[in-house]
Amino acid sequence: MAEISFKREIESLKLADGDTFHGEGIIAVTKALLQSGVSYVGGYQGAPVGHLLDVLVEAKEEMERLGVHVEPCMNEAAAAAMLGASVNYPIRGAVTWKSIVGTNVAADALSNLASPGVKGGALIIVGEDYGEGASVIQERTHAFALKSSIWLMDPRPELSNIVRMVEKSFELSEASNAPVMMELRIRACHMLGSFETKANRAAEQSAAHRIPAPASFDYIRLAHPPVTFIQETDKFKRRLPAAQDFIVEQGLNEILGPSESDIGVIVQGGLFNVLNSRLEAAGLSNVYGDVAVPVLVLNVTHPLAPRQIEQFCLGKKAVLIVEEGQPDYLEQAIGQILRKADLQTRIFGKDVLPMGGEYTQRVLGQGLSAFLRANGRDCAALDVWLAALKEHEEAVRNVLAAPLPARPPGLCTGCPERPVFSAMKVLKGEIGPTHVAADIGCHALATFAPFDQGNSILGYGMSLASAAAVSNVQARKPVSIMGDGGFWHNGLLTGVAGSVFNRNDGVLIIMNNGYSSATGAQDLPSSAPTNDGRGAGVDIEKTLRGMGVKAISRVRTYDIGRMIKTLREAILTPAKGLRVIIADGECQLARQRRIRSENAKAVAAGKRVVRTRFWVDPEICTGDHSCIRLSGCPSLTLKPNEDPLRKDPIAHVNNDCVGCGVCGEVSHAAQLCPSFAQIDIVQNPGWFDQFRQKWELRLIRFFGGEARA
Amino acid sequence: MSGPLRILISALGGEGGGVLASWIADAAIADGHVAQRTSVPGVAQRTGSTTYYIEIVRAEGRRPVLSLAPTAGEVDLFIATELLEAGRLIQAGFVTPDRTTVIAPLRRVYAITEKIAMSDGRADSDLIVTAAKQFSKAHHIADFQALADEARAQLNAVLFGLAARSLSISPQACRKAIEADGRAIEANLRGFDTGFAYEAKEPAPAVDASPASVAPASAQFDAAISSFPLEVRDIAREGVLRSVDFQNAAYARLYLERVQRFARAPGADGAFLADLARHLAIRMTSEDVVRVAQLKLRETRLAMVRAEARAKPGDIVRITEFLKPGPHEILSILPAPLARGLLVIVRKLGLERAAIPMRVHTTGLFGFLQLRALSSLRALRPLSLRAAEEKAWIETWLDLIEKAQRVDHEAARQIVETAQLVRGYGETWERGHANWRAIADQIVRPMLAAAQPPAHFADAVLQARLAALADPEGKRLNALIDSVNQLAGSGAK
Repeated sequence: MAEISFKREIESLKLADGDTFHGEGIIAVTKALLQSGVSYVGGYQGAPVGHLLDVLVEAKEEMERLGVHVEPCMNEAAAAAMLGASVNYPIRGAVTWKSIVGTNVAADALSNLASPGVKGGALIIVGEDYGEGASVIQERTHAFALKSSIWLMDPRPELSNIVRMVEKSFELSEASNAPVMMELRIRACHMLGSFETKANRAAEQSAAHRIPAPASFDYIRLAHPPVTFIQETDKFKRRLPAAQDFIVEQGLNEILGPSESDIGVIVQGGLFNVLNSRLEAAGLSNVYGDVAVPVLVLNVTHPLAPRQIEQFCLGKKAVLIVEEGQPDYLEQAIGQILRKADLQTRIFGKDVLPMGGEYTQRVLGQGLSAFLRANGRDCAALDVWLAALKEHEEAVRNVLAAPLPARPPGLCTGCPERPVFSAMKVLKGEIGPTHVAADIGCHALATFAPFDQGNSILGYGMSLASAAAVSNVQARKPVSIMGDGGFWHNGLLTGVAGSVFNRNDGVLIIMNNGYSSATGAQDLPSSAPTNDGRGAGVDIEKTLRGMGVKAISRVRTYDIGRMIKTLREAILTPAKGLRVIIADGECQLARQRRIRSENAKAVAAGKRVVRTRFWVDPEICTGDHSCIRLSGCPSLTLKPNEDPLRKDPIAHVNNDCVGCGVCGEVSHAAQLCPSFAQIDIVQNPGWFDQFRQKWELRLIRFFGGEARA
Repeated sequence: MSGPLRILISALGGEGGGVLASWIADAAIADGHVAQRTSVPGVAQRTGSTTYYIEIVRAEGRRPVLSLAPTAGEVDLFIATELLEAGRLIQAGFVTPDRTTVIAPLRRVYAITEKIAMSDGRADSDLIVTAAKQFSKAHHIADFQALADEARAQLNAVLFGLAARSLSISPQACRKAIEADGRAIEANLRGFDTGFAYEAKEPAPAVDASPASVAPASAQFDAAISSFPLEVRDIAREGVLRSVDFQNAAYARLYLERVQRFARAPGADGAFLADLARHLAIRMTSEDVVRVAQLKLRETRLAMVRAEARAKPGDIVRITEFLKPGPHEILSILPAPLARGLLVIVRKLGLERAAIPMRVHTTGLFGFLQLRALSSLRALRPLSLRAAEEKAWIETWLDLIEKAQRVDHEAARQIVETAQLVRGYGETWERGHANWRAIADQIVRPMLAAAQPPAHFADAVLQARLAALADPEGKRLNALIDSVNQLAGSGAK
């Protein structure tokens, strides 16, 4: 069961011919898949495309009606391999994941898919996690499209255009027998807009109408020699020209603006809006995109159609290529097209624009200004804006001289993973540093303050594998951290099986919080089976034992004392082999979502409910903040010191506290201070509570206590 | 206006910035505009910074091309749910005097680097407010969180109400957007109306900002206190009261005598004395086990807890204290010779780090009796090891100040401030003492011993104190001491 409910979105997926869809970009893509008559959809969760799968998982009824098989895959390789259905059968399928990382994981299956090619349209929707807000390595998906002959869509971010491109992607895929990828940037996925819908199309062959017989044996459908040589030739001899023809004939790329001009701009579709905003600032466009210079909008960035590029550049002395990220694949390709056609149009691109980083308005404005100036055009309006920005920045710097504190993401209030890192930090103080192999997931946030730990991140579920050599060349055993998400994604095989097989020494901590939490609380094989979820309740411990791991400890994460003891023993023991600590603690975000409403209902119904939170005694706290350096909980914060004699702010627990108890445990484990107290608020107290309260008060008074409320 | 209306919202993950953005966009659409909104949430949902961006244009039949990201210098309305978030985007150039209206609450959610500082790492809120006022076209900056609390509404609803006034969107459409959203409609409408009706009040005439007036200490101390410069008196009075509460009147007299010893010294101005009186009062009432028990028995404490935990009348509130005194903390309340003997044994047994974690239910009878027994040891405290240690430390500190005063007033002032380092419990207490000793032995004493104390005496003490507060591992302090010693070495040659 995902973190948010998609009730509204599911309704928008059912819209019919001529209705208007209002919603998020990625949901519009989902609707477009249904309009295209897909038979199956798969993928692996991850921002910014995760909602695609989440909403379909929740839209069970509509999927059953349409006969669409929906599969949350174990990883991106599994998702890519799922497209194998379209290799043999003329059915349409789509899969989705976060790129570049997901595409890397999928690479093996992708190559094997692209080599034989497909009969039914196969579409891969990738979240191009690049620029502001990105959480992964900054690389381009474009490279995969180039090497595997997968066509790449980069649609202009306007919902009806995106929807049309999804529909056309399937046609393109079928017209050229090649899989198609569509890259969607973060903001495009989260963009809210509208488009006119068509009714969903049930596929002729699907989960509802099964294919009666398997495809006949045909070696050419296998990515296996000797036919791989034939397939390679087929890619450039037949599929590529077929795709290029389709792209030009169907007008997938858009040519805007005047037909006559000696300059022009070629832009990735996804960047058109940024470009238009700067052309507007230069007085060369308006809010409706009526550009005054010719612009070629590449909704398809691979393959390029040479004749379209030639035609666009013919008669122009210069074009600006707006292409985000590196290497400059488009610039290289266009340069080659022009050279071969012997056109003398000068290319501007990464010389006036930066090689790497997001093309924000400011970055693009600078490049556009340089391009216009070099070609004798008026760029005064842009320059005035840029100069004003600079001047303004100086003025702001005179008031706010030092950079203000940054606010990186952190573990949530009451997160069950925090106490594990608190334990590691306390232990580090005791036994010195240990090599820590970090991983992808919420626990990667422990690389930030106050924990500042982790020696490497080598990929999702890769921590234990990344410690393989370290464990054999380092005096002390390394500690690897892995979430249950990473464990099922591939840590089980690349890490655990590898470690057992090679008899490596090491400590593996598995954060068993019950969900794929960082991506929005999707269910995992080990998630508890519930009515509305997909959890299968597969036991991680039994899985490990089945693989021959003997030393397994289970520790409730909030028990910091035991966690320290277990870790200390696991790291320092001379015994050989892999030692696994399963750190049990349910994702607090998921837990709170569940119990908050339950408790509110119980209190309203007059039932006894105990609410627990923590508290810092303001008279005892001396303002050193050791507790915060070992916790970092959002609800453990600061407040001004009310003591007229003291100045430093003191620690303070705010009312977001969920009573997980980590601050109290930490003050015990690290022997910090006597400031922490647990407060239990008994709501609707029962007769025993009242009786006990009354008598304790009387006795306290008898022994000289002051009157207490 | 030409071009779209551009709205930037910055928030912390989970604060309802997304809901606010969708209310605004929905209301604009309901009012017949074209609106597009987008965001960069991702992992930032997990308590990090996140921004939302909206563009609104009049619907004219054609589909506009709207931006997905804000442009520096082209934001009409900027809403922040927290002050530092506002500050950071002002710093990034998104707020400009020609067009931006700023709506921001004064509330602060401290960033982790502010919280983990060993003294006060908080960003300067006043500076951010100044910048917001100076660089905006119009601004609404006030304690909107209090306004929201008063209306029993969420902050984002109040901000929506404030925003509605700066937008050409009808309040009816705004209210409809809240209703259509369907979540907590009543509270959100209440919040919206509160924000919409908000009028900035003229700042109330400044009330006396000094801490609630301190009750006069008893007559026996008043003469001595009134002999001090004006700025010292309130602090001295507080010090006297606290010393009496901590021990007894004789102890308070000792406090005053110690302050008086410096009042007569040449160059001891009011500021110097006030600082000294302040640190001395804290050091003389340092939190030993007995003191902690005494404070935890206070009657006012439960009322404070109830209010803070928002307990309703009829709810029963129970307090469980997390205590884990180490051998030194426990044994040092015994008479000095006995405690010293026992500590030797503890050391021999290797039990210095041993400690008993205790959870004491102070609202229960048994917990009360435990604290009561501990606090009753107050009478015996003057004989205790802890008292002897504190006394020795205070006298050493005062002695260094006095010596420094003879040669360098500014250095004396800085030595007074080093008392800030010695505080806390357990490891914090030990670390503080170790750092202080390092500064005293390796910087203060050598410089005092020199025939001519160096010109950078005061600065060295100041820098050493700041270095000790820079990191808990003492890396910065060690480096600083090394460099000061090198300087001294090269000077000698």
